[in-house]
Amino acid sequence: MLQTVTTIVLIMMSISIFICFIRVVKGPTMSDRVVALDTIGINLIGFIGILMIIQKTVAYSEVILVIAIIAFIGSIAFAKFIEGGVVLDRDRR
Amino acid sequence: MTEIVVSILILLGGAFSILGSIGIVRFPDVYGRLHAATKSATLGVICIIIGTFLYFLLVQELFIGKLLLTILFVFMTAPVVGFMVSKSAYNVGVKLWDQSIQDDLGKAIKKAEKKARQ
Amino acid sequence: MAFQILLNIAIAFIWMLLKNNFTGVEFAIGYIVGLLLLFVLRRFLNFDFYFRRVIAVFKLIVLFIYKLILANIDVIKIVLSPKLNIKPGIIAVPTKLKTEWEVTLLSCLISLTPGTLSMNFSEDGKTIYVHAIHVPDKNEAIKEIHNSFEKAILEVTK
Repeated sequence: MLQTVTTIVLIMMSISIFICFIRVVKGPTMSDRVVALDTIGINLIGFIGILMIIQKTVAYSEVILVIAIIAFIGSIAFAKFIEGGVVLDRDRR
Repeated sequence: MTEIVVSILILLGGAFSILGSIGIVRFPDVYGRLHAATKSATLGVICIIIGTFLYFLLVQELFIGKLLLTILFVFMTAPVVGFMVSKSAYNVGVKLWDQSIQDDLGKAIKKAEKKARQ
Repeated sequence: MAFQILLNIAIAFIWMLLKNNFTGVEFAIGYIVGLLLLFVLRRFLNFDFYFRRVIAVFKLIVLFIYKLILANIDVIKIVLSPKLNIKPGIIAVPTKLKTEWEVTLLSCLISLTPGTLSMNFSEDGKTIYVHAIHVPDKNEAIKEIHNSFEKAILEVTK
């Protein structure tokens, strides 16, 4: 039973990532694309979580954590880049 | 029994994720899309990760703390991403949807500019 | 506060030594015993029982999860309705919270709950600008935030 459920959910996550991809291609502004890319990153975490159940392995737990961190940092960097064009600013007030 | 609980959690997570993605396509402006991204997608992924954690804890009898760390991390970072992206979008000048009914932030910014000019 | 937690952990260690059994379960039992002791002795020690705060944090978490589920049902309803019948807008929410991390916590909680997303702060940090997906009545939305989260956060930090 769990086998079929995981397969179904894997297909659902794939569709979900594909829908986000439509927004990445279409998005009228840069911010739309950043939002969609961030959601793709978050969906990938769930995708790999289900792969862990299917393959009965714990080896991917680090992968999940690293993808979460990279998606977060990427979105923040993009947001700062859109706003000012400077990602790492040194001069503090 | 545990398989049923895990299956329900994973199905819920998948449903939330797909609805979040549909929301990202359907909402009319950036801010509405952020609503879908920060809430539905996050809750969906958290459901899936909790399902995975319970599966390994109850079926394989392995305690994976990293999954709990992931949940905490996703929970903490989702509002920050929403905040940063919406702030930058507003500062760059992405327009609100034309059927929006009020805009207090725009008023406040105009007032501050007027004060700075005087 | 910190002194009480240290006292509590010390009681748990003494309990472990008395039982001559150094496992996590025994530590947890010792911690609960220490809590009970502190609760009974709170009148003779000259301080407030710290576990009240823990209960307040717990209440905040429960309220938050409840609101999170409500929020998602809300968003899903809007997503699945055939016509987008919404009135979005940005509202200014004044807050009574003083320190920086309280305001941060409030804005994070706002971001994760019913149709609201914190967007910006005013210069003095007293006003949060919130984008709401459906605001037929502005004052009601502000009142709801005040009554649910701000109250619970004040309960924790009081």
